[in-house]
Amino acid sequence: MAAPSMAAALAASLPAPQAAPTPAAPTYEAIPASMSKAIDIEAEIPLTCVQLDGMVITKILKHSREASSTTAHGLLLGLDLDGILEVSNSFALPNHTNDDDEKATKSIGRYQASMLRSLKEVQGDDNVVGFYQATSLGAFFNQTLIDTQAIHQDRLRHGGVVIVHDISQTARGNASFRAFKLTPSFMDAYRRANFSTAGLVSHRLTFSSILEEIPLRVRTNALLNSYLNMLVTPSTSSFSGARPGEATTSALSPSYSVLDIGNTGLTKNLEQVAEAIDNYRTEEGNVAYLSRQIAREKLRAETYVAKRKEENARRVAQGLNPLPEEDVSRLFRIPPEPSRLESMLLLGQVDAYAKSLESNAGTGLVKMYGAKASSGV
Amino acid sequence: MPLSASSSAAYLQNTSPTPNGAPSTRPTSLTIHPSALFSILDHYLRRTDAQHRVIGTLLGSRTDSSVDVKAAFAVLHSETDEQVAVDMDYHRAMYDLCTRVRPNETIVGWYSTGSDLNTYSALIQNFYSQETAPHQAVHVALDTGTEGGKGAGVKAYISSPVGVFPKPENCVFVPIPCELRFHEAERSGLDLLLSPNASLAQTDLDVLASALTDVQNMLNRVLAYVQSVLRGEIVGDKAVGRYLMDVLGTGVEEDGGWTAGLQDTLMVTYLANLVRSQAEVSARLALTSSA
Repeated sequence: MAAPSMAAALAASLPAPQAAPTPAAPTYEAIPASMSKAIDIEAEIPLTCVQLDGMVITKILKHSREASSTTAHGLLLGLDLDGILEVSNSFALPNHTNDDDEKATKSIGRYQASMLRSLKEVQGDDNVVGFYQATSLGAFFNQTLIDTQAIHQDRLRHGGVVIVHDISQTARGNASFRAFKLTPSFMDAYRRANFSTAGLVSHRLTFSSILEEIPLRVRTNALLNSYLNMLVTPSTSSFSGARPGEATTSALSPSYSVLDIGNTGLTKNLEQVAEAIDNYRTEEGNVAYLSRQIAREKLRAETYVAKRKEENARRVAQGLNPLPEEDVSRLFRIPPEPSRLESMLLLGQVDAYAKSLESNAGTGLVKMYGAKASSGV
Repeated sequence: MPLSASSSAAYLQNTSPTPNGAPSTRPTSLTIHPSALFSILDHYLRRTDAQHRVIGTLLGSRTDSSVDVKAAFAVLHSETDEQVAVDMDYHRAMYDLCTRVRPNETIVGWYSTGSDLNTYSALIQNFYSQETAPHQAVHVALDTGTEGGKGAGVKAYISSPVGVFPKPENCVFVPIPCELRFHEAERSGLDLLLSPNASLAQTDLDVLASALTDVQNMLNRVLAYVQSVLRGEIVGDKAVGRYLMDVLGTGVEEDGGWTAGLQDTLMVTYLANLVRSQAEVSARLALTSSA
């Protein structure tokens, strides 16, 4: 989507979901409007890879761990270049749990605008390319994530990505960052807000086809690399009689916490799976109830129409004028088909919890065999 | 885990309390979180050509004797031969924004890249001490190692006035030890940054496999060393030998609980697989029901 000018495209990329005024839109007005269609070829190159800077990873790690109760989320800044989305900075967004919706979204919009402005003054990137979300035990399908991502995908040039960071998996020793976009079929259904059964069938939507994953890689610039190397190189102690355990120290000595045996997370994971299944069943029960109501109403409407037809036929046979066919939709209010988006998301949650449970238990199995092998010799 | 080459300077001790019994407020050690460190490096990379060094504010929390730096942001400043100017409005505005997200972080000091301390540093330190009153402001000087002759490192200082009549532009910077500190849960993220080509799509089993190979290599090295000592080729170091005995001599007690644990784990794996297939089938079934 080639915007008429670069300035307008950049201003439209501030994804404030309401009409907050965009202060200080950057003014790069060198490209005349006629040329911009030719120049905006970047929009045609599809995204193949997302590249995260090392600093972004540490900032997301820190924010996710510190945000206690509600999940942490924030914005990603960077540049999309040649099919690779480079994320170079990020900042956290404050939570808006207690305020009512209007005030909360406005205040977040203001926070975002002033943060972007401040970053621009110190020559940081101020181009929003997506947002990140922290989750635990792998379940990140919820309505707000989908809504925000849909808004981003409409507004930003390459469609934003959402980076999901799994806290529990990172704590277990495998840093987990994954980048997702909404699939085109899902975006289509979302735009039409058509999540009835017929809509799902026509788009062939299951929970696994809502999001598509984009490969992710980490990039550390040269300065960061040299700094990290300095932190890791061990420095020998100057004492000659030091114990071997303390003879060499370094700022970041290697840790093997992934080899710890113990099933600390398993019970919690099992509880989450059970809870998610319960939620899903409740939701399905609601959907079934509504469907039954709809079926009842339809039946009543049909019997009414049939009776009308019969009566008309009788009257014609008797030579009287037929009664007008009344508009049944005014007599019988058939409620609309329930949206099955919620139950689909809940099913996705169930699947995600089960998947993390499986990988957890699987590695536990391997570790137990390893421990037995080392002792039973 | 000290962050730079150890120096032989004397460090501060928390000495006798002040006469009215209040606890001393001079910090004696500093810990830094990696995200603050990397933000400083990034700011240094983005500086314009005119700036030789960049400064910014440090945010964090403090306890009685140590200061914990958790985040950092850049501040506009300009430095010429005659004067130095720091944009205070920008600093206030950014601090307000940051407190909205993390309310329990306060200003604890300032940083600068480049390790030379001059009059301007003293002036800026004075300004920041007013911000962090009644506590002292810490100053972190980060040396990026890009200038010849200086190694990369981080040094932390607190200031104390010097001279017959204390003036704002004279103070002596006293070094305090500083360390890198992060939560254990963030460790694997840092490991990801350290290994050059790690892909982010590793499953848990891949990570486990690489850790096990590492341990196996280490054990092989130790085994080769011990065998050569036994054969008499090398004179064994007694300290190393005792250390190895301490570490490897403890065995795992055999118990019947192992089989029970194994059965539990197998059952959980089976259950998880079952739930996943059920969810998939249910999703497909929803597609086939007629309207």
